[in-house]
Amino acid sequence: MTMKTIQIAAESHTDAAVEPSRASLPRLCIVSSGREPDSSGTMLLALMERLPATLSCIVQIREKQLAAASLLNLSRRVKAMGEASRALIVLNERIDIAAAAGLAGVHLPESGCPPDKLTPLRHNMLIGKSSHSLESALDADMRGADYLIFGPVFDTPSKRRYGSPQGLDKLEAVCHAVGVPVFAIGGITTENAQRCLSAGAHGVAALSLFNDNVNVSGILSNLEQVLYR
Amino acid sequence: MIPNHPFLCFVTDEILHPVEQVHRALGGGAAMIQLRHKSASGEQLYRWSIEIRDICRERHAIFMVNDRVDIAIAADADGVHLGQQDLPAAEARKLLGSSKILGVSVSSPQEAVDAENESADYVGFGHIFPTSSKEKHTVPTGPEAIGSIIQAVRIPVIAIGGINPENAHLPIAAGASGIAVITAISRAEDPEAAAGKLVSLLELNRLR
Repeated sequence: MTMKTIQIAAESHTDAAVEPSRASLPRLCIVSSGREPDSSGTMLLALMERLPATLSCIVQIREKQLAAASLLNLSRRVKAMGEASRALIVLNERIDIAAAAGLAGVHLPESGCPPDKLTPLRHNMLIGKSSHSLESALDADMRGADYLIFGPVFDTPSKRRYGSPQGLDKLEAVCHAVGVPVFAIGGITTENAQRCLSAGAHGVAALSLFNDNVNVSGILSNLEQVLYR
Repeated sequence: MIPNHPFLCFVTDEILHPVEQVHRALGGGAAMIQLRHKSASGEQLYRWSIEIRDICRERHAIFMVNDRVDIAIAADADGVHLGQQDLPAAEARKLLGSSKILGVSVSSPQEAVDAENESADYVGFGHIFPTSSKEKHTVPTGPEAIGSIIQAVRIPVIAIGGINPENAHLPIAAGASGIAVITAISRAEDPEAAAGKLVSLLELNRLR
């Protein structure tokens, strides 16, 4: 157990709010579509309505097209919706807005502000970080990120701008090199999620997988079985 | 911390390297710098911010970050400047604490009053003259509108929008505590000289 883990465990012991330690982080991270036209969050809220009440997950609000005031309103809506579920709500990039909305944490893009510089705003918030290389994964780990999202592991339209897929070998190398939980992202399906876990991933993160709202409940319960059995 | 005499605020131009521009503006005597860059990554903004913060401290100038309360706190800037689409001023103040400077852009007396009630330290009002810097869908207020903002609030009012060495005396004569410019400095042939000219105009008005 590293010093940091001990510290987090101690904090969660004294803090009445339930703050997850790294080891007990959910194994599924659901990333929003990035296509919400405004702060009403229609698509994301519709998705959250379908979350099984028992499903432990992280819901990442990632709507870069919205201005800060809209992101704050959206965050508050999603947080209110999430009260009834076992979802931890985090916001992409902006820890200031996440703090104002009282969210569980922030998820920083690979090119986001270095996590260790956000200490004055952090309090007991989770800080996740995206990584597309072993080097940046090690850097994020060293700078105090609580978890990483690494990818794209498989081919996916939404991640093609980050280059060709990293593959399971690189995922495995990252998982073994860092001391924090790693979520695999990029082309994740109910079929390949197990291969990510076998490579050492703590869990999986997905976005496009949930675009199909018709079958999303089925996809979620299949994933739940793979990730938590 | 905000100067009690008419001062020059320089807002960085999105299309140019911010640190270079800041050097020029401070060389000409700007008292406040605002880093405004909507498309840069968080890491880039942080790196620019610590660099600009150090330059500003050397020159005893105020360093403000536009929109990003997170970056302002991470880089220990002097404060944050918020637009109406950014975090509400009251939320930003909770995060910033009482010692940081909070500025808010307003376009009406009501918005100015709201900003003051939400603990803003100053308001930016404009756009005073026609400007090409930002997409504007409203007509310029004209310098005479500054009076209605000054009457509505007790905090300093900084005029922005289309201000240049030819018209800078007008907002100051109308009672503005300062002027904020982008292109009048950033696109000038000699940015440092342009900043210097604006500062000497402000000082001339102060002696009158």
